[in-house]
Amino acid sequence: MQRAIEHRGIPTVSISVALDVTEHAKPPRAVFVPFMMGHHFGVPFHAELQRRIILEALTHIEQAKESGEVCRVAVTWAEARRQGIEIEKQLGLKT
Amino acid sequence: MTDNSDAAQQLRPGLWQTINERYPGSMITKESYVSLARLRKPLRESRLTFVSTGGVQPKGTLPFDTVHPVGDYTFRRVPSHLKPADLEIHQLKYPTAGAMRDLNVIFPIERLQELAAEGIIGSLAPNFFSFIGYNMNPEALERTLAEDIAEAVEADGADVALLSPA
Repeated sequence: MQRAIEHRGIPTVSISVALDVTEHAKPPRAVFVPFMMGHHFGVPFHAELQRRIILEALTHIEQAKESGEVCRVAVTWAEARRQGIEIEKQLGLKT
Repeated sequence: MTDNSDAAQQLRPGLWQTINERYPGSMITKESYVSLARLRKPLRESRLTFVSTGGVQPKGTLPFDTVHPVGDYTFRRVPSHLKPADLEIHQLKYPTAGAMRDLNVIFPIERLQELAAEGIIGSLAPNFFSFIGYNMNPEALERTLAEDIAEAVEADGADVALLSPA
């Protein structure tokens, strides 16, 4: 999919939660996050983290030199979840 | 891979091998990379599209066939101005615990709208695109669905594409 779009001259970047799948599929650019499947942009209500992942992906489009470069977002799933719980407490969604 | 820090570890290792053993031939393997396309203008002037395998679709559109044995090779357009409340998820292959509470964890439509409103991205393409990641025939997917979406992305005048293979 990503290769088909890139082939038409439109630069692409994907968010990956599975490095092994990415190594096989060889997309032109990918950003890896060590998150649970289905949670590519982080955790609920953590807008700052969701935004950061998008921005790191867009920066990768600007900066990647070689096809296949994978950039890693320096965050862990445990950190993301902890921060998400704090945010939900502040929002009154969790006691 | 020598980087063993937490940030380098995928949460569910061995995914490719596990799926490929259970469903032989269902996983894509490529031997080479495609040439990189280059941005034609800065991001602040570019029109961005988003492509998701998350099975996210506007309420009222034909639900994806999540139980067909070989998968559903159709896609849905998701107008980029919609709100999460206008959308629903039809898929079976990833945990939706987060997405059911905040759709942005898998389909960050509000974050993308904000980035466009702030001028960090020039604009959003009129449509985003969504399909389901459960497809047992990667060659057929590549011949049909991938080309159909790529053609629609191009027709929308997108300059740059963000993808999220769920």
